[in-house]
Amino acid sequence: MEPQQLAEAAGSSRHAPAGISLHDFCGQAGEQLVHFHAMRLRDSLFLWVGAEPALRSLAVAMCSPHDSIPVSTSLLGDASDATSNSLAQRLARKTKKQIFVSYNLQNTDSSFILHIENRIKEEMMAFPEKF
Amino acid sequence: MAAKPIVTSKQREEVVRGVPTEVVCTAFSNSILVVVTQYGKMGTLVSVDPSTITSDISKPSLTTKVLLGTDEPLIHVCAKNLVTFVSQEAGNKPVLLAIALKDKSMEGIKALQELIRSCQVW
Repeated sequence: MEPQQLAEAAGSSRHAPAGISLHDFCGQAGEQLVHFHAMRLRDSLFLWVGAEPALRSLAVAMCSPHDSIPVSTSLLGDASDATSNSLAQRLARKTKKQIFVSYNLQNTDSSFILHIENRIKEEMMAFPEKF
Repeated sequence: MAAKPIVTSKQREEVVRGVPTEVVCTAFSNSILVVVTQYGKMGTLVSVDPSTITSDISKPSLTTKVLLGTDEPLIHVCAKNLVTFVSQEAGNKPVLLAIALKDKSMEGIKALQELIRSCQVW
């Protein structure tokens, strides 16, 4: 997106804050270029993370009044891969929103995922209206 | 870092039979994500899969499975009616459908089909 379009998109989102907003960004994690696709809905967020455009897993998490750790469940893909789950939980705790995460990278090292999480948080700080 | 999107999305907002409605379609390499909402939320998440075991390859039967939300018969009917054509036109790809509808009438569903078609990313 060109800067001018970005500005327009930000402007229109101010007029209609209830509407769904889409936001693409990317980041370098180690050697790898990682793409992000965020869709902000009412009180919820769908976030896709991947290097190629496939949707292989999906988890959802939300805060619970009964537990300090947000509750989460795996909706799609390999249930033994907890990466989407734990990322959704951490973002739910930060944003207090219902969070859908689709994490589609081979690398599931905790340090790598921390890097990914920090990139997401950085973007959330820069474009809070998009999340 | 500036992003050239790796996935394609199209979005429409329209009043359908008096109800403000939003549709977002996103094309992934292995599936299509379709969000149809009259509440602004994801609502019920339904996986719509073309089954491979069929006598007629060109028109496979679709299996619907509720991944999140109330698993009621009407949801399956709505899901099949809304996105069967999406799956077929995308070359029999599975569709992940998020629906939150106030108006589940047949006329409403037909109008929503057209709205989904206007967000063609497949």
